[in-house]
Amino acid sequence: MTMNDELANDPTLIQEFVNEAQEGLQHLDEDLLSLEQAPDAMEMLDRIFRTVHTIKGTAGFLGFDQLVAVSHAAEDVLNSLRKGESVAGSEHIDTLLAAFDRIRVMINDIAHNAIVVYDLDELVVRLRSLLPETSGAEGGAQSAQEMLDAAVRAANARAAAEALSAESASGEAAPVETASATEESSAVPAGPAPAGRVVAATERITNMRVDVVKLDELVNLVGELVLQRNRLAELNRQHVEGRLHGSDFDDALGDAIARLSFVADELQGASLRTRMIPIDNVFRRFPRVVRDLAHSLGKQVKLVIRGAETELDKTMVEQIADPLVHLVRNALDHGVELPAVREARGKPAEGTVTLEALQKGDHIVVVITDDGNGIDPERIGKKAVEKGLVTADRLRSMSTHEIMDFIFLPGFSTAEKVNNVSGRGVGMDVVRTNLKSLNGSVTVESHLGLGSTFTLQLPLTLAVIPVLLVRISQETYALPLHSVVETVHALRRDLHDVDGSEVLRIGQRVLPFCRLERLFGLPDSTNDLMRVVILGIGEQRIALAVDQFLGQEQTVIKSLGSCLRRVPGIAGATISGDGRVRLIVDPAGLLGLVQNRHLGKFEVAV
Amino acid sequence: MNTAANTPQSMQRVVLEASAQTGLLQIVSFRIGAEEFGLEILKVQEIIRVQDLTRVPNLPDFVEGVINLRGKVIPVIGLRRWFGLDQQSYDKNTRIIVVEVSGSVLGFIVDSVSEVLRIPADTVEPPPRIGKVERDYIAGVGRLDDRLLLLLNLDRLMTSSEVLQCEPAEA
Repeated sequence: MTMNDELANDPTLIQEFVNEAQEGLQHLDEDLLSLEQAPDAMEMLDRIFRTVHTIKGTAGFLGFDQLVAVSHAAEDVLNSLRKGESVAGSEHIDTLLAAFDRIRVMINDIAHNAIVVYDLDELVVRLRSLLPETSGAEGGAQSAQEMLDAAVRAANARAAAEALSAESASGEAAPVETASATEESSAVPAGPAPAGRVVAATERITNMRVDVVKLDELVNLVGELVLQRNRLAELNRQHVEGRLHGSDFDDALGDAIARLSFVADELQGASLRTRMIPIDNVFRRFPRVVRDLAHSLGKQVKLVIRGAETELDKTMVEQIADPLVHLVRNALDHGVELPAVREARGKPAEGTVTLEALQKGDHIVVVITDDGNGIDPERIGKKAVEKGLVTADRLRSMSTHEIMDFIFLPGFSTAEKVNNVSGRGVGMDVVRTNLKSLNGSVTVESHLGLGSTFTLQLPLTLAVIPVLLVRISQETYALPLHSVVETVHALRRDLHDVDGSEVLRIGQRVLPFCRLERLFGLPDSTNDLMRVVILGIGEQRIALAVDQFLGQEQTVIKSLGSCLRRVPGIAGATISGDGRVRLIVDPAGLLGLVQNRHLGKFEVAV
Repeated sequence: MNTAANTPQSMQRVVLEASAQTGLLQIVSFRIGAEEFGLEILKVQEIIRVQDLTRVPNLPDFVEGVINLRGKVIPVIGLRRWFGLDQQSYDKNTRIIVVEVSGSVLGFIVDSVSEVLRIPADTVEPPPRIGKVERDYIAGVGRLDDRLLLLLNLDRLMTSSEVLQCEPAEA
């Protein structure tokens, strides 16, 4: 026992347990939902059972008794399913999901070094009630005894927690509190847990598995890097000693540098690849979200997931979770209609929401499609006029696309009734802001009565982006290359004035024209022959005149410092070879600035 | 970032205790125009010469730009502009005082930095109304022989601006 205690207080052991348990829990919901579809899938059942069993075992060893109580009860239920004593109905699934949620919360508590004492009676009783009669009675007796034990052990755990927090280096007391599970569940009627709460706990991934192949590649490249360093040192020595000079030295140095930059590029790529994880890490929570939400909305929804194996940067995966949840919830709430309505419209009663990820060049595209209501541009337009976002005159000259874009403005919501799922007017703008902060974009396309498609575009990684360096009125700016559609020459006389906003005609196309120098308060450029960069933000295009192209570069994005988080039109900064700071233009922000100005709302933010 | 932030903090504790015992404040003194100002030394991270500034558009003019501080981009504020004084071109005495205020690192451009002073804490008087410099930003007036030192209240300075909403840096 004493040895056990010693081991149980070993923080690395606890950390390992938390990692292992969290990894296991990620798949539990998914597996459980597949089980609901196919109640006799023994393989699935075995896997769930094993995960719960492992958690129970290790938790018991480490002395997390509450965790043992819940996982033990869940294990019993799973075991009876395995033995075929009962069949996994939706009540089983609901209750087990609730139990897994509780386990997840407890594991999180452990990870944060906080021991919270929960009232688990109701949950355990609910689980026990699922057991068939005979074992149920037995279980009841057992549970009474166990409850008593658990109470004693909980008190011990509390004492241990206090001891632990006193010891903990930070000196901050770990919160020890009593939370009542009963209270929580009574606040939320019906079985399914509120979908938002499950998902809101976006756990930051602090540990990740990296494919050994990727690591080997890294180590190889580092070896190569060391070789190249030696080569340069050798060249330097020869040069200093006078053995190598003139064009021989120049050639050798040129070779060595070329080789070095090749290795550096490869190394950059390889190290970024270690950070890539499959988007499945986010996608796999959606079957649960959709199930619970469809349940509470009284709708029938089938979720189709494609391209879950698409890889992108770990931070991206973490940060697109919230916007995605929002869009999926919107699709269910506003998109998919009630079964009766669908049938009346000649659609199958069950709606389909598709979540798809794919790589397109150096971009990841995530598409959320529903086959529901669709969005009515007329209603959006009317609302926009009502809210004073646009004049009725101006609205008439706007494309459907531009009108749809209003839904991404802050405070814009067309939902007539407010519920706890969506329609509070916070949301779409937050989605766009989140995406912008990731250098991505979100666009919408919709056909009334047929459904809507939201397309998210994301760069593969946040850390390094290629930029096009341009000079505008003596200042150098960097344009993210992924937004640069093309560069052309144009004449100043091709500029036209339409409804007070400038447009540029290039061949058959007419593009909104942005005078960056005006937006940025620089002297006007008057060259007759203009160099024009066409930037694409989703489907939208914007033309930008620059004085000079300076070339392309790979840059590391830095923030402008925490004080200057939001500068309109600026995405961040980068440091150039000569040590100067260069500003990176934010194409989406630019578009916003131009549109606002067209709407007569442009003000310099002070 | 973390280690850098931790050390000054633990230092701060040590020095504050020391100053509590001795009753002395350590102040970095600098000049803007004819006036002499002071900043508590613990707020000051370093003092550097003026380097190439990159102007950032659409910000109030007292934000003179951003600089590269060893690979980190920090905003630089012209105290002259902030105080509404005439702009003056930089010369060999112009310095940037790099400070950390509520987790954010930023620089202040001053005409010149004079010295580090120790002044008895009990000689600091509450701020009177002085010229154009807003009283809000002055924590107190230190007296040293016949010199008057306006002690800046940086936290006030920062929170009063809507543009510089300093939130704790995200590691």
